[in-house]
Amino acid sequence: MLLHDLLFRLRSLMRRPAAENELDDELRFHLERQTDKYVRSGMSEPEALRRARLEFGGLDQVKDECREARGVSFVETLMQDLHYTSRTLLHAPAFTACAVLTLALGIGANTAIFSVVNRVLLNPLPYPNPQELLAARQNESLPNLKDMQRQTHSFASSGGVNIAPMDFTGNGEPVRVHAAWVDAGLLVTLGVQPMLGRWISADEDVKGGARNVVLSYPFWRDFLGGDPHVLGRGIRLSDKTYTVIGVMPRNFTLPKELADVFISLWAGYPEAAPERGVHFMHTYWRLKPGVPLGQAQTEIAQADHRLAEEFPDTERERGTVLMPLHEWLVGDVRPALLILFGAVGLVLLIACANFAMLLMARALTRQRELMIRASLGARNGRLIRQRLTESTLLALVGGAAGLMAAKAGTTLLLALKPAELRRLDAIPMDARVFLFVFAISLLTGLLFGLLPAWSASRGDMAEALRENARTTATGVSRSPFRSLLVTAELALALILLAGAGLLIKGFLHLRSVDPGFNPANVITMYLQLPGTRYPQIPLQTNFRRELLARINSFPGVEAAMITDLPLAGNYVDHRVAIDGQPAPAVGAEPEVQTLSVMGNYFGVMQIALRTGRDFSAMDREGEPRVAIVNQAFVQQLLPGQDPIGIRIDWARSNPHEWMTIIGVAGDVKHSGLNQPVDPAVYAPFSQNDEAWRKWMTLVIRTRVPVAGLVEDVKKQVWSLDSQIPVSGIQSMDDLLAVSVAQQRFNVLLLASFAALAVALAGVGIYGMVAYRVNERTHEIGVYIALGAQQRDVLRLVMKDGVKLGLLGIVLGLAGAIALTRAMVSLLFEVNPTDPATLIGVALLLAAVAMLACYIPARRALSIHPMTALRRE
Amino acid sequence: MPSRFIDLPQGTLDLLILRTLSLEPLHGWAVSERIQQISSDVLRVQQGSLYPALHRLERRGWIKARWGTSENNRKAKFYELTKAGRRELEIEQDAWQKLTAAVSQILETA
Repeated sequence: MLLHDLLFRLRSLMRRPAAENELDDELRFHLERQTDKYVRSGMSEPEALRRARLEFGGLDQVKDECREARGVSFVETLMQDLHYTSRTLLHAPAFTACAVLTLALGIGANTAIFSVVNRVLLNPLPYPNPQELLAARQNESLPNLKDMQRQTHSFASSGGVNIAPMDFTGNGEPVRVHAAWVDAGLLVTLGVQPMLGRWISADEDVKGGARNVVLSYPFWRDFLGGDPHVLGRGIRLSDKTYTVIGVMPRNFTLPKELADVFISLWAGYPEAAPERGVHFMHTYWRLKPGVPLGQAQTEIAQADHRLAEEFPDTERERGTVLMPLHEWLVGDVRPALLILFGAVGLVLLIACANFAMLLMARALTRQRELMIRASLGARNGRLIRQRLTESTLLALVGGAAGLMAAKAGTTLLLALKPAELRRLDAIPMDARVFLFVFAISLLTGLLFGLLPAWSASRGDMAEALRENARTTATGVSRSPFRSLLVTAELALALILLAGAGLLIKGFLHLRSVDPGFNPANVITMYLQLPGTRYPQIPLQTNFRRELLARINSFPGVEAAMITDLPLAGNYVDHRVAIDGQPAPAVGAEPEVQTLSVMGNYFGVMQIALRTGRDFSAMDREGEPRVAIVNQAFVQQLLPGQDPIGIRIDWARSNPHEWMTIIGVAGDVKHSGLNQPVDPAVYAPFSQNDEAWRKWMTLVIRTRVPVAGLVEDVKKQVWSLDSQIPVSGIQSMDDLLAVSVAQQRFNVLLLASFAALAVALAGVGIYGMVAYRVNERTHEIGVYIALGAQQRDVLRLVMKDGVKLGLLGIVLGLAGAIALTRAMVSLLFEVNPTDPATLIGVALLLAAVAMLACYIPARRALSIHPMTALRRE
Repeated sequence: MPSRFIDLPQGTLDLLILRTLSLEPLHGWAVSERIQQISSDVLRVQQGSLYPALHRLERRGWIKARWGTSENNRKAKFYELTKAGRRELEIEQDAWQKLTAAVSQILETA
């Protein structure tokens, strides 16, 4: 039955033209027979025809009902409407272009942001059963990880990883690669198998285990030519040979880390592997199926407690927090992305409001046509439907254009390279993005087409007809709906402006933070000495001293070196003891950043020396040990004391080899411009007693940019040791810029959304005033003829626009105060209800609104009374 | 004169069409003529509403249409009852008789 129905409808649809002809034939036959009948009963032919038609009823209506009865009417009407709509739209190119462009901007911006949200927040992790995966917020040492694994039962497996630089040699220029020092449990936990060969097994992952390496796909492809027989081959990493046992799949990445090669921590860094206090591994945990996070967390807390009791000197301050891996990965970006998504949603709403107003204006200009069609018997529903078809068609075309805009937009987003998106090489447009575009386009078309269509349907039409017939100027189309849209637009635009204003202010604060050094004209490069050839400190010192001497002999150049640069994200932490102060409990000693330097580091970086003296060439091996501390060190650890002459050392050294503080350096924003400064100790490389400090970062200040400097420095490095890769070549300016890239990204996006919103709202209010001027030409003409001054005319036509604008701004301010609170995590030293910003953006928007009213209003001034009257 | 006619109650048109077609295949005009004749011109079928009803019945599979030649040698669309239509007619007829019987009983006794 149902099937028959469906097939019948389908058949009717397929053979529509034929069916249409048949219907004509059938009805014509009926009329002929009926006419025949009357003629035979003695009527004249015209009279008979008239009578037959009368009895039959409206032919077109009957046809319509037959089509409806055959079930083709819906699709058929749609086709008709589509045909009609596309024809009329093509006849109004300006209107069509405006509508499509407006929606393309709104939908495009939304789609671009949605693609990012989709990729970053919504895409599942590329591991099987990702909901079972957890990450520990704190780093862990390998012995702790093993103990925790043994003492807990909630986990199917767990693993840890630390990323460290290694030098890959034997393949042309030495290259610095990212090595993942792992334990055997890591891949088991992530649930991924190597593409070739096998993963590191548990019995290799022990002291003295085989030196094996698993390669990442890109490393295998780029450096080993994708050799299919690579298994068993030896490669040189940091002067040792590792045997390749596996290659990872192409799309495999660690959750957060970038890695080229995977090596057991025991093989790669056997010195650190047994050290309980070396908390440097990210750990990942896989829950047994069905085990709740809470239970796992409780077990981990118990393990923490046992470890703290057993190893108080390193494990006193434990507090491991496990969180779902996805949350751990996106936690930092989520608020920013959601706020941007919300902001771009507001932009779309504004675009939609403009779209609705365009549709309304068009409806009014076409009201005669619609009236005629209505009076010819077109049903109200049909007229509304036709206009819905129009708005939906426009919205879908706008959506398609928006999709293209979004494609360009995401490319732009990637080019901005904010820190969190840096790992994304592409933002793909997947089915979800297409569905999103389609859904919002359809919704936009239906919803924002329905409101004006409904408000202009027959009810209003009669009124419009009356008004149009005798152009009385009072109250023409003072549609409350239009006023509502304009007010809402301005309110939304103000909210966006307020958000952007606050972000900009915060960003300016951030940029005006003094980093503590002068980044201009400083180039930096990273080097690491291979432990095999530079095992002892004197060898390392000789290399450093010789390299610096050679670079400093270049004209116009001054070079120095430090272990870790400010803003680069790394430093070595040590617990510190102060001579003469009672030693705090073991494990509770203050922690400080420890930085080794050589050369005139403070001079090259132009870090101010507050008191005391700088290091000199005399502060070298064999001489009394010296140190320079920063101001934060003095404030936090030596409050109220003269730091010069006070002796410090790393806690628990035995015996202490005290370093005397000889100076205090200005604070440097080491961890980020928006981060507090931690206490720091600078000490000469040459007096260093930790042979594992094998790395260094060159800082080279030039008076003017020196062409070829980087190449010259590399040559000097390789003339000293051809096996040392030079990496991390960047200027301090770049480093500074990268450190605020995320904030700049937020600012740029929100500011461009706000600009878009203001432009759209401006166009909205402009359109309304222009429309009213046009509509009241006659009234204004009379007004001018009666001797109205320019001022009066302006007041007349601008009054409504300005009133609505101000209302919108006031409402927007209230909305902004309510909503900007959500931005608090994105703002740097700005109150989310910062009055100066709110007032500023309100004035800015008011100015834009005034201008948008004034431009069309000025046209009213040029109305000539006679022309206006003649327009009747 | 119009008072002689009774407008069809809602929904009865389908029943009348099915009944009319149960005797022989007819084209639309003949159906309307037949209904008026048989009802001695008491029932008036709005001719325009006949065709949507025919098409609806066709869609439901109760009648089927084919093109044939009319008594005056013209091409005309003839409708005939299908098996499903015959069953439907019985059901409808039965229901109608029950309804009218009940209604007249009430009218007579109440």
